[in-house]
Amino acid sequence: MLMISPRMAAGMQEKQYTPSLLNFFIYNPKFGPREGEEEKKILFYHPSEVEKNEKIRNVGLCEAIVQFTRTFCPSKPAKSLHTQKNRQFFFEPEDNFWIVMVVRNPMVEKPNKEGKPPTIEYQEEEILDTVYGAVLQQCYSMYKLFNGTFGRAMEAGGVELLTQKLEKFFYRYLQTLHLHSCDLLDVFAGISFFPLDKMTYLKIQSFVNRVEESLRLIKYTAFLYNDQLIWSGLEQEDMRILYKYLTTSLFPRHSEPELAGRDSPLRPEVAGNLLHYGRFLTGPSNLKDPEAKFRFPRIFVNTGDSYEELHLIVYKAMSAAVCFMISASVELSREFCEQLDSLVGPQLTLLASDICEQYNINRRISGPEKEPQFKFIYFNHMNLAEKSTIHMRKTASVSLTSVHPDLMKILGDINCDFARVDEDEEIIVKAMTDYWVVGKKSDQRELYVILNQKNANLIEVNEEVKRLCATQFNNIFFLD
Amino acid sequence: MDEEQQDREQPETVRCSHPESDCSPDATDSLDAAAAAAAISSHDPSLSDRDCGTEGPFPGKSAGIKIISSTNGPVEPDLQGPGGEGPSERTANHSEVSVGEVNGRSRPEGAEDEEDRPEDVSDSASTDNTLEDSSEFVVTVLTRASLEDQADGPSSEPSGLSQTPPPSNQDEDVTAESWRQHRKHVFVLSEAGKPIYSRYGNEEALSSTMGVMMALVSFVQTGDNTIRSIYSDEHTVVFMQQGPLVLVSVSCSRQSEQQLRAELLYVYNQIVSMLTQASINRIFERKKNYDLRRLLAGSEKILDGLLNLVDSDPSFLLSAVHCLPLASALRDSLSQILQKAITPNLVFSILIAKQQLLTIVQEKTVIEDARLEPADLHLLLNLIGASSAFQAGEIWTPICLPLFNPDCYFYAYISYLDPPDCTVCLLLLSTDKEAFYAVAECKRRIDEGMRAQNALSSIAKAHSYSASQVGVPDLRHFMYKPFDVPDNHRQLTQFTSPEMEAPYSSEEERSRLLDLYRYMHSRIHSSSRPLKLIYHVAERETLLAWVTGKFELYTCFSPLVTKASAINAITKLLRWIKKEEDRLFIRSPPKYSTTPNPSKSSRGSKGASDRPDGSDNGFLSLL
Repeated sequence: MLMISPRMAAGMQEKQYTPSLLNFFIYNPKFGPREGEEEKKILFYHPSEVEKNEKIRNVGLCEAIVQFTRTFCPSKPAKSLHTQKNRQFFFEPEDNFWIVMVVRNPMVEKPNKEGKPPTIEYQEEEILDTVYGAVLQQCYSMYKLFNGTFGRAMEAGGVELLTQKLEKFFYRYLQTLHLHSCDLLDVFAGISFFPLDKMTYLKIQSFVNRVEESLRLIKYTAFLYNDQLIWSGLEQEDMRILYKYLTTSLFPRHSEPELAGRDSPLRPEVAGNLLHYGRFLTGPSNLKDPEAKFRFPRIFVNTGDSYEELHLIVYKAMSAAVCFMISASVELSREFCEQLDSLVGPQLTLLASDICEQYNINRRISGPEKEPQFKFIYFNHMNLAEKSTIHMRKTASVSLTSVHPDLMKILGDINCDFARVDEDEEIIVKAMTDYWVVGKKSDQRELYVILNQKNANLIEVNEEVKRLCATQFNNIFFLD
Repeated sequence: MDEEQQDREQPETVRCSHPESDCSPDATDSLDAAAAAAAISSHDPSLSDRDCGTEGPFPGKSAGIKIISSTNGPVEPDLQGPGGEGPSERTANHSEVSVGEVNGRSRPEGAEDEEDRPEDVSDSASTDNTLEDSSEFVVTVLTRASLEDQADGPSSEPSGLSQTPPPSNQDEDVTAESWRQHRKHVFVLSEAGKPIYSRYGNEEALSSTMGVMMALVSFVQTGDNTIRSIYSDEHTVVFMQQGPLVLVSVSCSRQSEQQLRAELLYVYNQIVSMLTQASINRIFERKKNYDLRRLLAGSEKILDGLLNLVDSDPSFLLSAVHCLPLASALRDSLSQILQKAITPNLVFSILIAKQQLLTIVQEKTVIEDARLEPADLHLLLNLIGASSAFQAGEIWTPICLPLFNPDCYFYAYISYLDPPDCTVCLLLLSTDKEAFYAVAECKRRIDEGMRAQNALSSIAKAHSYSASQVGVPDLRHFMYKPFDVPDNHRQLTQFTSPEMEAPYSSEEERSRLLDLYRYMHSRIHSSSRPLKLIYHVAERETLLAWVTGKFELYTCFSPLVTKASAINAITKLLRWIKKEEDRLFIRSPPKYSTTPNPSKSSRGSKGASDRPDGSDNGFLSLL
């Protein structure tokens, strides 16, 4: 991504380049141990046009780096390599399978006098290892969600099947990586929960129970409202990556047709079915279409033990979305989908408007929102709950934040500081721009606050954060 | 490719504190004469006679080291061969052989040396400059020092030498788990991948590991890129290239890359201080696969000592010098004693006690042209501390101050003033390699002056202070570094810090607190995201780091301190420091003039113009 610096003078433009993906490759050193066979180690390489010898060289360097760091600690090999121009991240998700991501450092291109090529200055300290290391791990988790483990693919169809799967998945997935807008939220990879009163929560739970009771094929259910999770039957780790997929990829692609005008082409075909707003986000887009296909995406969960392959049905009515997961061994028919549609559609429509109403009442009680003096990110490691007032909207393509990128990086730094010791801590820093940033870690919870008052002093900052904790997190004890 | 590489690297690595263009020939002779003499040919009589501005007592005599037993009077040990050697070739041969002998004694792989030596001798004989000689002199004295440490030296007998040295790091098994578990490894190798130094384990045994390091460096280089570091869950590996040398740090100290790099630079500079940068570059230009250990044999101890000091002494982190607190009247009178005992070409007179600075007096034109950098002083202190053999009597040795000028030698006179206790050390730096007797005479006068005022016993009473003396409850420890004092902004950067006391009295807790300071330091001085203030509350202590235009402060409080009382405490602490500053710091370093013709005022202003002014912004505005 190219941004023109505002400092530009006529004809002397300074260009600022954000970090970008240079290479992404997957290799297994055991697959071509003999000299001359090195190419066999490479299972996937992006960009594929790269010349064969260059690929082999780059893989060779990674092998050497990993081997070298084992000299000093055999069980904890390298995770990243920093060079002047780029950063490389190494991840071994399964034995001997290495995924490597090479990210070019952000750089500034300064024009020179006529005839001379521009000077390029690399900004070597801008990329945070924790953030991009997390992005790399997420790549694997996402692959695994839709394809299962590398090992299973090898058992089923050998290297050939595995390379096919990798090619198919990463070709598209890498285009959705937006490396310039990654930040602390990628490290947490948390789940945003929808705040709800007890009554409505019970209504949702009983809805889930009723549906599971009636449609015995359903193995797991997850319920979301407004892109936020309310209920999930999946293991936390599986829900974490599924949530990421739903909120950054699937939902944005089906943006609210309910909000579109009555005659908009986006509006779903509701003729003859005015009873509800329910529709399938995966599988058939129109049940009435005789050509409709009843194929749903497959996902893999519990890969650590029971290793289940499931159909993923995502069904949505207004702002409420439900995921139904059914064993992949079952063939899903038109009849099943119609049954689900007629059972879930009306109930979910009703439930969605109930939640909406409740939500509006709660909002009115808490009073009109005035511009707060602070913005914050909260994360709880125990239930993966995440809350951010810094991010306006997080989708696959953009992560709009309302604060300066340098402040976001300071949050990342504080997060790294917390990882140094396993004890409760509080860190307050004053940035060069005079913004105050506060980080608190208590038990498994982390809270990061950016304060807008530039002229505040340490004691005022402390008071402000105390107030925030009292209003937003009154039941959580934070070290003072 | 290697050659190109070197050419490209060189201008970067020659970091002069005063660039050559700054040194107008008419003005610099007193200092640069030595540089010129050393760099071009110290055996050119016309040069040394004219520029040194002195008739050396032994014209044309090669500058050997002199270890002179204080009891027996000046005796020149037979390390150097007879004085008065004229042709440089012969000198080179001589020193080479003497190093060879020492090598043969100190290292079991003597056979290999034997095999290599002839080639090597011809190598240095083929050149017509004597830089390498000088470097070998240093090495000789250092080797000798270390030998004398291990077994009672043959030529001297003071009690200080009989201590048993710690077990050598060199014999460690590099495949053992214990080797891997060292907190910080440091390796130095040449561009050809030849091992030069390893902090732990024998370099020979590590030659394949170092080969891999060099392979990684050059592999990344072929992609027109530069390797910086590797991170794993446990270790940070930092690579640094300095001219023909590659330095690598493998650390699990969780220090920042910037800090580890700064430490590697200290290691590089310590090597430069023994050999000079010009000489290192020249050696490798001539012979890519030269085994630099040949010249550094015996100096491993100095590098080991440096690394231990770097790990335990915050001076290195802060790039500032720790002064021993002293009543200002006493410090002034010590300075006056030094100020009076001068001789032509003497440029620095430094008095050290308990590894801390007592006072430093500088030649006038020197202080106007460039100041002594804390880093250079750290290297000198380490050199003195690294070997108890310096306690033997008087030492005269060439030494380079890399930040002052990486390419020239000073001649250092080192002697303890209070044998056999050996706590107060005098260091006199001259630009004239022939000035030994003149400088030794200075020492005699300083000795006299000190005796007359009974200064030694006053110094012995001086000691560091405790944080409780500040009178602020909850304050456990602090480090305070003022930036240049406005009325004298070219003085040495200093810092003050109390003794570490309970709960930081154990070795382990002390290093934990230092680690916390290091972490605060790395964040507040981050190259990409520097901060103004950090307040860190943890379970065992509360820390505050604060950088303003006037000072840099790190404080450690008990964990239960409130923010209000911490701020209160800092206000009190700053007031206390202000009150005590005459005792804690060298306020106005005195000067003397040793130049016979002091009509050189023109360049003082020139030198000053390119130095940033110590002006500042807001004071106490934060709290």
